[in-house]
Amino acid sequence: MPMTCIFRLVLACAWTSSSFWFASVQSWADEPLSYDRDVRPILSENCFACHGFDENSRESGLRLDTRLGAVEEGGAIEPGSPDSSLMMVRVVSTDADELMPPAHTGKALTDQQKAILSRWIEQGAEYEEHWAFAPPQRRPIPEFAGLDHPLDRFVQSRLHKEGLSLSPLAPPSTLIRRLSLDLIGLPPSPQEVSDFEQAAAIDPAGAYSQLVERLLSSSHFGERWGRWWLDQARYADSHGYSIDGEREIWKYRDWVIGALNADMGFDEFTIEQLAGDLLPDPSVEQKIATGFHRNTQINQEGGVDPEQFRVDSVFDRVATTGNVWLGLSIGCAQCHDHKFDPITQQEYYRLFAFLNNQREPALKIYADETTQELQLEEPLVERKLANEQSLQNILADYVASLLEWESQLGEASRSALSEPLQGILKAEAEKRPVDAQARLLIGSGLLAASGSEQRQLELEQLLESHSQVVAHLARGVSTLVLEELSERRATHVFIKGDFTRPDAEVLPGTPAVLHPLPSSERIPNRLDLARWLVDDANPLTPRVLANRVWQQLFGRGIVETESDFGYQGSVPSHPELLDWLALELRENHWSLKELLRKIVTSHTYQQSSHVRAELVAVDPLNLLLGRQNRLRLDAEVIRDVALVASGLFSPKLGGPPVYPPIPEGVMTQGQVSRVWKTSEGEDRYRRGLYTFVYRVTPPPALNVFDAPDGLSSCTRRIRSNTPLQALALLNDPAFVDFAVALERRIASEGLETAFKLCTSREPTVEELRLLAQLNPLNQARALLNLDETITRE
Amino acid sequence: MSTTPIDRQHQLREATRRHFFSQCSMGLGSIALASLLAEHGLGSEVDSQTSNPLAPKATHFPAKAKNVIFLFMAGGPSQLETFDYKPKLNELSGQPIPTSFVEGKRFAFMSSSHRNDLLGVRPAFKQYGDNGTWVSDLLPSTAGIVDDISIVKTCKTDLFNHAPAKLFMNTGGGLFGRPSLGAWVTYGIGSECDNLPGFVVLQSGPRGPRGGAMHWSSGMLPSTYQGVPLRSQGDPILNLSTPPNISAAEQLQLVETVRALNLKRLVETGDDEISTRINAYEMAYRMQSSAPELMETSSETAETLALYGIKDPNEASYARNCLLARRLVERGVRFVQLYHTNWDHHGGPTENLETHLPAICKEIDQASAALIKDLDQRGLLDDTLVIWGGEFGRTPMGEVRESTGRNHHIDAFTMWFAGGGFKRGVVYGETDEFGFGPIDKSVHVRDIHATILHQLGLDHERLKVRFQGLDVRLTGVEEAHVLHDILA
Repeated sequence: MPMTCIFRLVLACAWTSSSFWFASVQSWADEPLSYDRDVRPILSENCFACHGFDENSRESGLRLDTRLGAVEEGGAIEPGSPDSSLMMVRVVSTDADELMPPAHTGKALTDQQKAILSRWIEQGAEYEEHWAFAPPQRRPIPEFAGLDHPLDRFVQSRLHKEGLSLSPLAPPSTLIRRLSLDLIGLPPSPQEVSDFEQAAAIDPAGAYSQLVERLLSSSHFGERWGRWWLDQARYADSHGYSIDGEREIWKYRDWVIGALNADMGFDEFTIEQLAGDLLPDPSVEQKIATGFHRNTQINQEGGVDPEQFRVDSVFDRVATTGNVWLGLSIGCAQCHDHKFDPITQQEYYRLFAFLNNQREPALKIYADETTQELQLEEPLVERKLANEQSLQNILADYVASLLEWESQLGEASRSALSEPLQGILKAEAEKRPVDAQARLLIGSGLLAASGSEQRQLELEQLLESHSQVVAHLARGVSTLVLEELSERRATHVFIKGDFTRPDAEVLPGTPAVLHPLPSSERIPNRLDLARWLVDDANPLTPRVLANRVWQQLFGRGIVETESDFGYQGSVPSHPELLDWLALELRENHWSLKELLRKIVTSHTYQQSSHVRAELVAVDPLNLLLGRQNRLRLDAEVIRDVALVASGLFSPKLGGPPVYPPIPEGVMTQGQVSRVWKTSEGEDRYRRGLYTFVYRVTPPPALNVFDAPDGLSSCTRRIRSNTPLQALALLNDPAFVDFAVALERRIASEGLETAFKLCTSREPTVEELRLLAQLNPLNQARALLNLDETITRE
Repeated sequence: MSTTPIDRQHQLREATRRHFFSQCSMGLGSIALASLLAEHGLGSEVDSQTSNPLAPKATHFPAKAKNVIFLFMAGGPSQLETFDYKPKLNELSGQPIPTSFVEGKRFAFMSSSHRNDLLGVRPAFKQYGDNGTWVSDLLPSTAGIVDDISIVKTCKTDLFNHAPAKLFMNTGGGLFGRPSLGAWVTYGIGSECDNLPGFVVLQSGPRGPRGGAMHWSSGMLPSTYQGVPLRSQGDPILNLSTPPNISAAEQLQLVETVRALNLKRLVETGDDEISTRINAYEMAYRMQSSAPELMETSSETAETLALYGIKDPNEASYARNCLLARRLVERGVRFVQLYHTNWDHHGGPTENLETHLPAICKEIDQASAALIKDLDQRGLLDDTLVIWGGEFGRTPMGEVRESTGRNHHIDAFTMWFAGGGFKRGVVYGETDEFGFGPIDKSVHVRDIHATILHQLGLDHERLKVRFQGLDVRLTGVEEAHVLHDILA
């Protein structure tokens, strides 16, 4: 079976929940089975679809997801006696009509799974609250000689049970490249590498800690981690669906980068994005933040029913909120009660009601050129009108004299006037804007002649202010935001999720299985929902976030199914560690940088990623983290690394999306052909995250390396490995461009430096010999094509 | 996964034999690699089976078909002017359809041009073949192959706008982001071609299909399984050509050096993703020569070109794409999809039933039939399933626009299937007197999907991928039935 990423994922899920834990269970035969860890995954996968939470699809009235249903009411399990428990009898039956799960479901229990169920019943068939719905707890940190970091002690204690231990630290050159790529998404320069190597030779821990601080305070940090968040926000620059017209929402992207650079607490980060408009006296930035839920698609096709697509966008917002914050597949309850998790269809539409109540305007915003402060249109327009009124007031005294002056202008004196004034005179007097008329009055010399210098000065100041405000208004940028409707839009349960079939009306509310919303007289709104998500009583959000940060640094979460913490999700490989991380995160004011600092300073993070034979024998997928993982770089970072190595890199932060060169014929792949006006100057060489992304026809060099399409929230990127990627790195015109630039560096700085620019390490003699057989351009191309260059080791 | 370490090591050597035999100059012979790997304790870990995600895979049960060619008539061809003969429409043309047919139904353009008056059919119909199958004058060549195909007149879909309905036909869902049929198939059983992509897309007509590249998306599956458009101008595959000023010899030398350096890293790190990458570079390099060769349709005989109606073998057309489709399946490519636009005959100035429908029928008729004959002659039809159809059909009612046209219709429309274990000479499903809805044997898009997968040896209930906590399947959560009645 080919082990592509998805296969790995599927295999790993199956493996985590069965064979691996079973092996472990066997090795500690005295320990009781855990319902949560060992049993529920089996029941959930094989039984709950027909004997679970959803009443409408429950067969024979039997539910196995609660002890009450399975033991007391259903009588399917007799604790202590597997042989007389009906469930076991059916599960091990050799009669095809009796066998559970039935063959037509395509599901079958393995012998190991049957043995686990049997032992669990024998041990008393105790049920436990699902781990993810219980509050995270501080557990005692295991002691290990030589390991100070709590994180390492959790990891080592689990490895120890299998007779394994952590790998040695990676060499400094690997560490600085790993850390730079992970924290800022850019490789270190050869100088930075050698400086770090020297410092680490004297004081390894001190040098590393300084490096961590330098990278965390870099403004590129927000770009790297901003892209991580933008995946989840399904950010892109077009409307999607078939027409896929351009949209302007990059101010939201820049807001994310800024917020992450400022290390805004994740609680505030959440509240501003979900409900910034509902905060008291919201700032322009807080309004921009609500762009999070404007990253849904808009259908511009003819003949469509707009309500259908508005409802679809709300479905998407509910599903995204559920995935991103709660790690739950809430979207499953759109058409029926959730088959596995305790979420009713009614509860789904109560969540829907929070997000069903807004206008979806574009906000025009203006940055003050000197202070950079953001302003809205209204005060600027008011200032403009006030200026015009003042100009008008002064002009009123001179209407007659100005007209007279104009009528007496001869051809010669007319052509003696300045060009702008001649221009003004071409329009009829009553059609001229007030500022033009004011300029004419000054130019006429009437004021100077009548000794009204004071008036002239006043007029000049007003005109100056007027030009400023007009220029300011011309620099406006629009961005998509949410605005709460003053009158609540009624929300109904939709039968089978079909918006043409409304059923009972529901009010906003949260699922009963989770902590309650604070009680209030008024109907709760989006702001209440946002606060509820980051409430201290929420067991899910801090775990989901910590897990997703972990996933970014190790390639896989402690919970492998990063957006499903429900019954169907995989159990955590290190539950105590996950709780520790979640609590550290929340107790440190939800600081992402602090969480990163904790993780990257651990030995677990810094260990070598090389495969070791003894690890492979016990843990081939490295679930227990006896080593780091080699990770192919994200699409944008592959571009960024090549830009830095070739010296073309533009460090410019933020601003409108750019159009780097792309192969011909790409933009005609959609229904509507789009014009790709290739950027000039440094905008050709900006970081990958600034490339304009059409949802339907994404930039091929990003798409081919699995950049998400922005069609739905992406909480984990696939890492595929394909021939088309090889063609892109070999032949794409942009990469040829990078190679030509790197060739110049080879000429001036040498092949060895070029090798270091790409891999951050010294080449071996043999590697240099192989490269030296090529001409310089091909040397550059070879370096940019190395697996190592596009991989974080 | 059940192979022994020794097997795997053997496979690795097999897979990499080609490099090493010719690579003495690189300093890494096969023996050297094996011993290096063993030295690092990695002999059994680098599994060549894991390194090509497109390698052929075991089916769920024995397959009837190996390849699929889907002739996608984008825009929604009218079944009433082609296969579904309804003399009653001419009789009652201009009169409103009985309200019992349309009550509670939703249509596209409901607020503007949609009307309930029946519209008569212009083209004449005749009976053809052993069973006297009705086909209109617009498709004379297709009429000639009715004894070789299965015509299904009661196809049904759920969505009535183009992009969502096309997505539904391709991915089983109306929203973007799910894998398309071709992606599912290559994910499920890989491809037998090692120098071309497993899922290839060809396009003809005045514009791309509505929804664009989403129709060949791999959705939540790895991008390996995404359809690769073969372009009619420039490089047939994006970035296929070696950059200007680089000779073929230099390109080969580059690829070999990259391979040697990657192998060194593989030995150093033990990461089998590197062996996947080595394979990917190999295939990319092979594609650079095999794709241009594939496109050389001028190498076909004059007889073959004439069969398809190709005058200039280098000119892009639907006919040339049909010929390319045959050449692709000949080379083992698993799934080929042709899009031809525009079948959206509402009655506007560029899309009416009087002029534009006959014209587009002429564009596709001869070549579609030629493809079936050509595949049959070469013994490829038994292994290749050919599908003809669009995202929906058109209403028996006319639309009020500049000239005559019909609105989108989802309750009953016609598709045909040939080869790949489908019966020959069958007409399946019957519609009511206006061709509005089925009177028996309604065939939902899900049933079509289940049947296509079934012929390829895949169980639609078992072909799935876990995404955001759900098992995603092509046929979704509702029931789907394999159309055993039209399978041989």
